[in-house]
Amino acid sequence: MLKNIKWIAAMMLTVSMLVSCKEDFPVDEDGLLITGRSQCYVSNFELLGPDFQTVRVENPVIDTTAQTINVKVFYGTDLKNLYPQFSLVTDAKLDPKITGKEDFSDLSKPKQYTVVSGNRKVRKTYTVNLTVQTP
Amino acid sequence: MRHTYLYYFLVLIGLVSLSSCEEEEYAIPTLKQELQNDVIKRTIGPNLVGMNIEFAYAMALPKSMGKLVSAEVEATVAGGEATYLENRSFYTNGSGEDVGIEVGSKSVNSGGRTTVTFTKDTSAATLRYFYRIPTTARGKEVSFKFSAQASNGQSVTYSMGPYKIAEMDMVLDLDVTDSTKAYISIEDMAVYNLADAAANASKIDLVYLYRTIPNITFSHGLVSPSAKTYLPGVNLPAGATRSSRVQKVWNLRDFHLARLQYGVYIDDLDFQKLDIASAPDYAINLRSEAGVWVETQDGKYRAYVYINSVNNNTKSAKISIKRYMMK
Repeated sequence: MLKNIKWIAAMMLTVSMLVSCKEDFPVDEDGLLITGRSQCYVSNFELLGPDFQTVRVENPVIDTTAQTINVKVFYGTDLKNLYPQFSLVTDAKLDPKITGKEDFSDLSKPKQYTVVSGNRKVRKTYTVNLTVQTP
Repeated sequence: MRHTYLYYFLVLIGLVSLSSCEEEEYAIPTLKQELQNDVIKRTIGPNLVGMNIEFAYAMALPKSMGKLVSAEVEATVAGGEATYLENRSFYTNGSGEDVGIEVGSKSVNSGGRTTVTFTKDTSAATLRYFYRIPTTARGKEVSFKFSAQASNGQSVTYSMGPYKIAEMDMVLDLDVTDSTKAYISIEDMAVYNLADAAANASKIDLVYLYRTIPNITFSHGLVSPSAKTYLPGVNLPAGATRSSRVQKVWNLRDFHLARLQYGVYIDDLDFQKLDIASAPDYAINLRSEAGVWVETQDGKYRAYVYINSVNNNTKSAKISIKRYMMK
């Protein structure tokens, strides 16, 4: 009888340990933690050329109300091969994801990126407007 | 039962502690009574035609056994005329300078063999070997066999390689000046003035220019003849219409081209893997130590043009080019 109790106790301990290791944190489809934050905005924006040097002439103008980013780039910038970099508020993510070079050459159709908040409930679409220096 | 376990345990502890006390004593290695040699390769990076591959060849035997008679290097592909085996042995003095002491006659090249005959009574020497890569070795592999003879009849050999000789070409320090010597041909790896450019109009891949235009940053540019927008006020020879792909690069200071402290090398593989299909046909706003990848219109050549220096006052620049011919 005493032996049996020992065994049962050991089993219970093991099971409880296994169970306690599996805690339920909510994650989204990218495996990123879904948090309680509802803030949703772009805090900074950078645009790099194919040589990984900035192509901005001045600081970008980010309007979080109108949801626009206005950037002025150098004359002669290769608009087909640019690397945009977004700095977002804590826990937020960008949709679509930026995986490499992006084509900004069609200035009449500015590219749009959506910021998704930490709780994944707020979505705000930002428009990136490029203007090129002119002589 | 419990006591037996305890007993075994104690015995085990005792054994472990005993064995760990054994220490190996250091012994001075005994000198081998024979002629010995060793080689190190001193150059790194890809092996380009026209450049040297440098080795240091060391050989020695105990003084009591005799002296060195000759040293020889045999290359599988005969090196260029400038190939030589140093006839001096170097030591470093207190100021850190290498001081050479002549130990043999000047080396003699015969076919792929380079030989130094010792004239001094010496039983140990380190000789440097400079193999000037000949055009005939382009794209091939070269191996080296180092050998030394001693007065007691012993001889030793040491094999190095094979080393792959790169396919690419290189040209250093071409001066380009706005509106005069401004027409660059990747095919010829040369810079032409307007008159010469007119004679080679179909081979002009890039035009160098420097502009200061109000409200924009233009400065130094490398522009294809086809990109007329970015060639303001440039006299193009008739027939210069090529459209080369040009991609700006920063922080790629190839050791051969830049000759700076950075140990970065562009090799054949970089050209083979280069994909600049979406690149434009111009690059402006270039700085010193920047560069551009170039692909000629016919796709025959890929090149890296490095900007060694720029001068805004004289509207000029110094460029170096590595070029690879696509198959």
